[in-house]
Amino acid sequence: MMKRFALRDLVDDRPQDGVFRINRSLFRDPALFDLEMKHVFEGGWVFVGLSTQAENPHDYFAGTIGRVPIIVSRDGNGELRCFVNACPHKGVRLVQKLCGNARRHVCPYHSWTFDSAGTNRNIKWKKSGCYSAGFDEENHDLASVPRFGEYRGFLFASLNPDVPSLEEHLGETRKLLDLVVDKSPDGVELVPGRVCFTFAANWKMQLENCADQYHFTSTHPSYIRILDQRAKEQSSEVVQSSIAAADFWQEDASGVTGGTYSFDHGHVLNWGVMPVSAALPEYERADDLARAHGTAKRDWMFNMRNLTIFPNLQIAENASSQMRVIRPIAHDLTEMQTWCIAPRGESAQARSFRIRQYEDFFNPTGMATPDDTVCYEEAQYGMAEQERPWLQGHARGLTASVEGGNDYSELIDLKPAQSVLADAQLCDESLFGSYYRAWAARMAEVLS
Amino acid sequence: MTALGQAEAAAFLYREALFLDRGDFDAWLDLYTADCLFWMPAWRDDGTQTDDPDRELSLIFYRSRRNLEDRIQRIRSGFSVASTVMPRVSHMIGNVLAEAMDDAGMRLDSSFIVNVQDVRTNRSHAYFGRYEHELRLEDGAWKIARKVIRLMNDVVPTMLDIYGV
Repeated sequence: MMKRFALRDLVDDRPQDGVFRINRSLFRDPALFDLEMKHVFEGGWVFVGLSTQAENPHDYFAGTIGRVPIIVSRDGNGELRCFVNACPHKGVRLVQKLCGNARRHVCPYHSWTFDSAGTNRNIKWKKSGCYSAGFDEENHDLASVPRFGEYRGFLFASLNPDVPSLEEHLGETRKLLDLVVDKSPDGVELVPGRVCFTFAANWKMQLENCADQYHFTSTHPSYIRILDQRAKEQSSEVVQSSIAAADFWQEDASGVTGGTYSFDHGHVLNWGVMPVSAALPEYERADDLARAHGTAKRDWMFNMRNLTIFPNLQIAENASSQMRVIRPIAHDLTEMQTWCIAPRGESAQARSFRIRQYEDFFNPTGMATPDDTVCYEEAQYGMAEQERPWLQGHARGLTASVEGGNDYSELIDLKPAQSVLADAQLCDESLFGSYYRAWAARMAEVLS
Repeated sequence: MTALGQAEAAAFLYREALFLDRGDFDAWLDLYTADCLFWMPAWRDDGTQTDDPDRELSLIFYRSRRNLEDRIQRIRSGFSVASTVMPRVSHMIGNVLAEAMDDAGMRLDSSFIVNVQDVRTNRSHAYFGRYEHELRLEDGAWKIARKVIRLMNDVVPTMLDIYGV
C-alpha cells in the first residue's frame, strides 16, 4: 500500500538533538484526520463512560467510538456490555436516546429485537421469510465491541481486538484515577446535567490545552481579575475559587509549585500544589481522607491535577472537578461532552459549592472556557501557514525532563516514564511528547 | 401600581432585549433586583432539564445581581479574547403571557430566538428557547427578581455569553 504520510514529516522527535516539533498538518489535514479516526480512535482503547451511567440491570447509555455509534448496557445479570448501536439487519441505529432502561431493544425500522445483553431475541416473521441456510449461519446479535474493560468505574473499549490489556494501557495512571475515586468510600458519580459544546478546531487543541500550564495567566486574565476581586471582598453573593487559594500559577511564587508526569501510551498529568483548605469542597473530609489513605495521598487529592488518558478522556481537578470526553468530528471541528464528577455522599453544601465553582470556570457559558475555545479556533486559522510547518509549542521544559519520577511522585508510589519538577514559570510543554509518541504508535501502520 | 397588562408585560421584555442587542449593559443590569436569581438550566438527558441547582448542573446559575456585574466586567475588561470582537445579536421575543402572582409580582412566560453573528469567525447561529420572568415592584418600578432561560439547542458552538440568550 502506498503510504501518503511519513512520520518524520509530521513529528520531528530527536531527543539526542534536543528537538521535539509537530507539523501543522496534524491539525489541518483532512486526509490525516480520516486516518486518525480509523487508527487512533477506532484502532485502540478509548474511554466510553462511567459505570454509574448504567447503574442498574437493563440501564444503558449511548455513545461513540470514533465514528461508530455504541451502546453500553448492563444486562439482566448486572454485567456491563458494550456493543455497536446498529441493527445487523439494515444498519439502523437501534437506540436513539442518550440513556434509559430497557430489557428489550426493538429496532424502529423492521422490529428486530435484542435483549440488554445484545442477544437477538426475535427476527420478525422469520419462519415465513424464506431465508437461505446461509442466513441462519450468520450471527444476528448486536456486534460486541471486541475489547471492553473497567477500572474502578471508568469504562474503556476498543474496536480493535489486537491491543494490550486495559491494565497495561492505563498502567501507572490507575493510581491517578484512584485519587479521583478514593475521595469517597462510595466512589464517584456524575452530577446530573451534561454540557455539550463544539469548537471549530482540531481535537488536539483540547488534548494539549488540558495539560498546558503556560496559557493560564495569558488566556484567562479577565477571569483571574474577578477571582482576585472576589477573594478581597469575600462576599457571600459570589462563589469563592479554589484557584485563588493556590499560588502554583502565580508568576511570583517561589520554589517547586508543581510539574508534569508523562506515561506510556500517551497519558499525561500536569499538577500544581494546592493547600488542604476550605477553598475546596473536599475539605469537609480532609481528616477522614488522611486517616483512610495517609496524609501524602490525601494531600495529592487536594493538588491541582489535569489528567489526560489518551486519546479522549480528561479529568480536570483545578477550579472544580470536570470529566471531559473529546469527540473529533472533522479535522477542524470537535465536540466536547462535559460533566461535573464528584465524590458520592459529600454534604449538600459541598456539592452545591462544587457545582457553583464548576459552572463559573468550565462551562461554555462560563467565564474561562470560552477564552480557551476561541484560542483553539484562532490557532486553527494559523495552522494554514505552509512556509514554516513546524510549530514551536512543544519545546518548554525539554532540558528539565528526566526519566522516571521524583520526590512528589514517590509520595504516592507513582512511577511515570518522564517527569518535570517546575516552578511557577517553567510551564512544561515536553509532556506533549507523550501524546504524539502514542499517536505515532497508533498510526504506525499507515505512516512510512 | 397595578399589575402589568399583556402589552405592558411584552414591552418590558422587549426593552430588556433591546438593551442586550445594543450592548447597553448598565441599563440591562438596572432591570434586575440586587438579589435576583438568574438561571439557565442544563439538560439532564434528551427530554428533561435539571431542576435543582444545588444538586444538579446548570449552564448558568446566579443568586444576586453581583454575579451579572462580574460577567459584564469580564466582557468589558479587554482581557477576554472571547469578548474582543463582540458577536452581534438580535433578540426576537414572542408568545408573551403575563399573569399576576399572589404576592403582587408578575410572572411572564415567553419564547425567544437570538440570532447571533459571530463577527470573528463570520458564522451565524440562532439560540432559541423559553424565558420565565418574575417581576417585582421596587420603588415604583418593575424589576426582574427571577429569570429562567430554558435553552432548547444546548450544544453550544464555541461559547455563549449572557447577551446571547
